Amino acid sequence: MAALVTVLALAACSKGPKEPEAPPATPHLRLMTTEQYLNTLGYIFGPSVTMEMKFAPLQRDGGLLANGAAVAGVTGAQLEQYERAAAVISAQAVDESHRGYLVPCKPADEKAADKACATQFFTRVGRLLHRRSMKNAEVAAYADRASDAATKLTDFYAGLNLTLASMLIEPEVLFIVEKAEPDPNNAGKMRLDAHSLASRLSFFLWNAAPDDTLLNAAENGSLQTKKGLEQQVNAMLASPRLETGIRAFFDDMFQFDAFDSLSKDPTVYPFYTGSIGTDAREQTLRTVVDQLVHKNGDYRDLFTSRSTFISPSLAALYGIPASPGWQPYEFPADSPRQGLLTQVSFLATHSHPGRSSPTRRGKALREILLCQVVPNPPANVDFSALNNPKSEYPTQRDRVKVHLQNPVCAGCHRITDPTGLALENFDGAGRFRTEENGHHIDASGNLDGKMFADVTGLAKTLHDNPGLPNCLVNRLFSYGTGAVVPPKNRELLQYFDTRFSESGYKVPELLRTLALSHTFQEVRAPSKGAAPAQQTQSTASNDSGRAPAPLATR
Amino acid sequence: MNRTVTRQSTNWLGALGVGLALGVGLSLGAFGVAVAADAPKAAAPIPASAVPLKEGGARLQNGTIAYVMTHKFWALYETPAKDGKTAECPTGMNDGPREQFRTLYGDGKGPKKYTIVEAQLKREGDLWHPSTTPEPPQLKFKEAQGKVSYGMNLDGKIGPNDFESPDGVQGVDNQLYRAIGCIGNYRTMGTINHFEDLFMNSYNDARIVIELTHVKSLENSDDVTANIYRGSDRMVADSTGEGYLPGGTQHVDLRWGKQFVSHAKGKIVNGVLTTDPIDRAELPWGSTFGTHGYHVFRGLRLQLKLTDGTAKGMLAGYVDTDAFIHHLNTSWSTHHHSYGQLSSQSLYREMSRLADGYPDAKTGKNTAISSAVNVEFVQVYLVKPDEKKQLTASSK
Repeated sequence: MAALVTVLALAACSKGPKEPEAPPATPHLRLMTTEQYLNTLGYIFGPSVTMEMKFAPLQRDGGLLANGAAVAGVTGAQLEQYERAAAVISAQAVDESHRGYLVPCKPADEKAADKACATQFFTRVGRLLHRRSMKNAEVAAYADRASDAATKLTDFYAGLNLTLASMLIEPEVLFIVEKAEPDPNNAGKMRLDAHSLASRLSFFLWNAAPDDTLLNAAENGSLQTKKGLEQQVNAMLASPRLETGIRAFFDDMFQFDAFDSLSKDPTVYPFYTGSIGTDAREQTLRTVVDQLVHKNGDYRDLFTSRSTFISPSLAALYGIPASPGWQPYEFPADSPRQGLLTQVSFLATHSHPGRSSPTRRGKALREILLCQVVPNPPANVDFSALNNPKSEYPTQRDRVKVHLQNPVCAGCHRITDPTGLALENFDGAGRFRTEENGHHIDASGNLDGKMFADVTGLAKTLHDNPGLPNCLVNRLFSYGTGAVVPPKNRELLQYFDTRFSESGYKVPELLRTLALSHTFQEVRAPSKGAAPAQQTQSTASNDSGRAPAPLATR
Repeated sequence: MNRTVTRQSTNWLGALGVGLALGVGLSLGAFGVAVAADAPKAAAPIPASAVPLKEGGARLQNGTIAYVMTHKFWALYETPAKDGKTAECPTGMNDGPREQFRTLYGDGKGPKKYTIVEAQLKREGDLWHPSTTPEPPQLKFKEAQGKVSYGMNLDGKIGPNDFESPDGVQGVDNQLYRAIGCIGNYRTMGTINHFEDLFMNSYNDARIVIELTHVKSLENSDDVTANIYRGSDRMVADSTGEGYLPGGTQHVDLRWGKQFVSHAKGKIVNGVLTTDPIDRAELPWGSTFGTHGYHVFRGLRLQLKLTDGTAKGMLAGYVDTDAFIHHLNTSWSTHHHSYGQLSSQSLYREMSRLADGYPDAKTGKNTAISSAVNVEFVQVYLVKPDEKKQLTASSK
């Protein structure tokens, strides 16, 4: 008996503290990002359907572009972009090289309408695009439209093409609509309905719409059971699509959209080319995926690790021989490349076009990696001393000392500059240097009072800073739920911080914790005056009672 | 003062007030506040790395350095033009295929009528079956004139047909200059000048790589070895897209066997490498559309000003005349011949007449013509494959 008690006690302990109650957020209406749209269509139609498009950028909110999706609309001009993209994609999906496997049937006559065949096609595609099963009446409407067009154009596939193109830009397809329903297990509370939960999970972990398996789980109700949810989350974490999801999140968190407009003065940095920028972004994302997914390693080690991947372009910048394509590479022990801060992606994006910037680098470290906010400079700041071309500042350290001479500037620059100065051994394009204008570079600095002599000390200090993993928790939870996490959720985040720490800072485990949390599923009832919560789709099924054949698989 | 505050312990409004009051700036965390300390506390700083941090290292390592060619063009001494004429081409540029055809066969309005076989196919046949029999007397070839040319003294002699280089070197052997110096295609504004670099730099399989070994220093080394290889990698372009940067990597391409591998001894004096002649060297000289042309040099030598990032100077030697014309006809389409006023038939005759080296053992006729090529290189890291394995694979 005593042994059983002990076992039960241990079992209870192993579960850890209970997830604290947190005020639920309202369900969101989010615009799909370009990547989410492309990933979704790529999984549905396959990689041979080419899709090169870029929709309007979102507004970053709370450190993430993803949060901007909840406040984004679609203008007429943007709709034209979507329309053009949809036309290109739909034409390919039903062309002669793709229809054989993307259209599940052959029309009786290619020059005439075939409603039965069109119905089969839209039942499968419509479900995956709308992220829910389609009612028979809905599918019939699409089949009717396709048949009308086919009759007028005397071409069955032209009818499919036009109807599919219109489906691809429907608001229900472009916008991720979250719907609430009463939580039967918690009286008086609301939760996401099953399809909304499936979408939230899928866009969170895969950056794409749910696949057939996940939709099935939503439709048969298992997704809203503890066991069923765990099964689905575990399967999603084991899927290769997780890499796409991880890449998307870190591309957003690290603000790599900056590469889209990054330019360097070619006379100062002849090494910095377009391919360097592309490869620098890719290098960091490959490093992240390898460390966090393939190796299931400690998140914090990303900031001290010498393991990375090298392309021929980057090898030239790093001054090392290259092999064709991307190759894993470990910098030697005496290399200054230790962790993500020392990769070109961080160094180049947080510099000026013609010189490095301890301020920008320090600010980026605090804001992006530690989730702190460094106030913008006052509107009337006087840059004349810094920008005077005749000023004799042999090094950036000498230059940024000017900041400290003005109390208005000094407050913030004492926060940013001592951290950024530790990265001064890298120029504005990310190349290593030991001198600047013939003067030895002093790369000492401090972060929150911890002093270090060079960049290796900065890397260690950042690695051990509790704000580093805590910030990731914050950003991931915000990313998954689609909104900036409000201050009142502090206790909840502390709970996630602890769980993350207990896991050894393993990101897949953190993703699992977040995805399985009550808060991830719980929502607040829409406020008065807002549109009422939509009727649940959780138990809705295809009127045919038959699950459509999988088109997009893991 | 260290006022780092974590989520767990801080009232952010309070910290905000403190930060503002102290005027030291502030940094708001997500919920709590992390206010950075500018003044470090007593904790011992993390010392610098045990070993000095470094990256890349010297490009000359273990007495070895390599370079990849980024520019090459036949060395032509050109003077400013006046009324379409220059000092070296006082009667202007040579005629090309279109002008020659009109000279030979008129414009079709004259009394004599030619069949296609007599005119068009006859001229095309001459192109594909080069001959040293004299051209019809109406066709006058214009050789480059004068005594000045770029190049090297290849035979160690100062002969009556030799040139003097612009910097005063006597006995310069560059008879190819006489042959091509007044052909528009080969001059600075000619299309071959432009396209030979463009194609070489665009196609990875046209790389010419030199490796110097046994180098004591890039200033002076009395006994070095120069190895010439075919490379196979993209070069590293600079941010303008016009220039190329050192630090790239080239893999030796042995898919062709050792056809494009050659070796020479040499020395470096005051930063200039000069090699002994290589009896026979074949250099890739590809054009576009997958052509894999090459030139055959006899007695090839290098003279290059070296730095650890670049090598610049000249290749000089006797280029095989038959191989030269074969390369011209198989690498350059007829419109390039026509637009560049380059008559392959006439040039072959002229090159054969001016050929000044490597006589045929049986006929005694010279098979190669002295030449010089201006070249530029940038440093690369060279990766050599397992030669035995590659050669075995390529022989299957």
